[in-house]
Amino acid sequence: MECSHIPKISYGEFGKRLREKIAGKRVPISGSLELTFRCNLRCVHCYLGDARFGISGKEELSYGEICDLLDQIVDEGCLWLLLTGGEPLFRPDFLDIYTYAKRKGLLVTLFTNGTLITPQIADYLREWRPFRIEITLYGRTKETYERVTGVPGSYERCIRGIELLLERGLPLRLKTMAMTLNKHEIWAMKEYAEELGVGFRFDPLLNAELDGSRDLMGLRLAPEEVLELDLADAERADVLREFCGRALGPPSSPEYVYVCGAGMRTFHVDPYGMLSICIISRSRSYDLCRGSFREGWQEFIPRVRHQRSGEDYECNQCELISLCGQCPGWAQLEHGDQETRVDFLCRVAHLRAEAFRPPELIA
Amino acid sequence: MSSSQEIYRQDDSIVSRRIEDEVILVPIRQNVADLGSIYTLTEVGAYIWEQMDGQRTTAEILALMVAQFEVAEEEAQKDLMEFIQRLSSIQAITRV
Repeated sequence: MECSHIPKISYGEFGKRLREKIAGKRVPISGSLELTFRCNLRCVHCYLGDARFGISGKEELSYGEICDLLDQIVDEGCLWLLLTGGEPLFRPDFLDIYTYAKRKGLLVTLFTNGTLITPQIADYLREWRPFRIEITLYGRTKETYERVTGVPGSYERCIRGIELLLERGLPLRLKTMAMTLNKHEIWAMKEYAEELGVGFRFDPLLNAELDGSRDLMGLRLAPEEVLELDLADAERADVLREFCGRALGPPSSPEYVYVCGAGMRTFHVDPYGMLSICIISRSRSYDLCRGSFREGWQEFIPRVRHQRSGEDYECNQCELISLCGQCPGWAQLEHGDQETRVDFLCRVAHLRAEAFRPPELIA
Repeated sequence: MSSSQEIYRQDDSIVSRRIEDEVILVPIRQNVADLGSIYTLTEVGAYIWEQMDGQRTTAEILALMVAQFEVAEEEAQKDLMEFIQRLSSIQAITRV
C-alpha cells in the first residue's frame, strides 16, 4: 500500500531534487575514498605509478580510522560514497569497511578490476547491495587485456568476476580507459556490455601519473583518435552535440583557478587520510589524521577553491573551457603547474567543438 | 488495525538519514524493500519514525502526534496506521 508520508522515488529523481535543494551551498554530499593504492594488477597506464606496489612507507588508514572518517563524513551530510583504489578488494578488511559504510546509510559505489571477486564476496554484495559497481575492462581479448594488466590469468578472473556479480543481479556497469593498446577493442567491449545488458563507457583522456612522471604518454591516444572514437559512437556524439549547443562559453568566474564544481559538493580522500578537492587535483591536501573532516571541508577546501588565477592564464578566458578537460589538477600532473595549458586537452576540445558545435553557434 | 499498545522499533536493515531538510530511509539489506528506490519521509513521517524507538506504544506516539501537529486524533490515527502498515510492508520496522 502507499502512504502519503513515505513517498517512494527513484534514486535519480531524489538526487536531482537534493541537488536542486542545495544549489549554491557547499555540502559534501558525494565523496570518493581510495582504500589503498595497492593492486593485484600491474596496469601499464596506471596513474598511481610505483605507489601501487605499497613501497611508499606510508601507512594506510586502519579500519578504525576509516570508520571514524565515515562517521564524520556522514555527520557532514555525505550520502554518495565511492570506494576505489588501487584495488579496494586488495584490503583484507574490505568487507568490514564496506559494511560499516552501508550501515551508516551511505549509498556506496565500488570501483574494482573485478579479478578478486569470489562467489563468497558476490553473495555478500547481493546481501548488502551496493548502489553501483563499476568494473574496468582493459580489453575484450585475453591478449589485449593482459598486455595492459601485465598479469597472466587476470582476463579470465575479471570475466568470472563479472559473471558472478551478474548472476546475482547486482547493479554492474563496465568501463574502460581507451589507449593505444586497446583502442581496437573498444567497440567489442561495448558489444560485450550490451550482450550482458549492462552500461558501458570509455574514457579516452589518459592523464599523467600522480608523481608527475610522463611515462604513460606513449599510451595516450592522439587527439584525432579521440575524436574518431567520439564520432563512431552515435550516442556519445549526440551527448557532445547537445552539450556544445548548450554549455559553451567562458566561465562565470574566470578570476579563480577552479571553474568546475570541485569542492562544492564533492571531496576526495586518499589511502593515507589526505583530503583533497578532487581525485585528480591533489597537490594541496589536508591531513585528516591531524584535523577533522569538518575543519578540512569548511576551512581548507574553500581556500583551495578560491585560489585566484594569474592574469596570463589563458584557459579561464576560453569559451571551450567547459568542453575541455583542462583543470588545475590535470595541469599540475602534466606540467607541475596548475595554470599551464595541457596541449593534448586543448586540441581535443577544439576538435570536438569543430565537429559538434551547432552551425548557428559558429562565429 | 494495530492495537494501541503495540510497540515497534526501527529495523536494523534500514537506515534513516537526515540530509539538509530531507529525511530518507535507505534500505541496506537484500531482504528489505525495493533496493532500487529510496523512501523519503514527510515532516509527519519523520516525526513518527523517530518515535519508533522500541519503547513507545502506538497510543503514546498518537498522543505525541496530536500534540506536535495540532491535528484531530482521528486524522492522526489514520496517518499513523497507514504509516505503520507501509513501514511493515517494506520491513522497515519490527514489532517488539
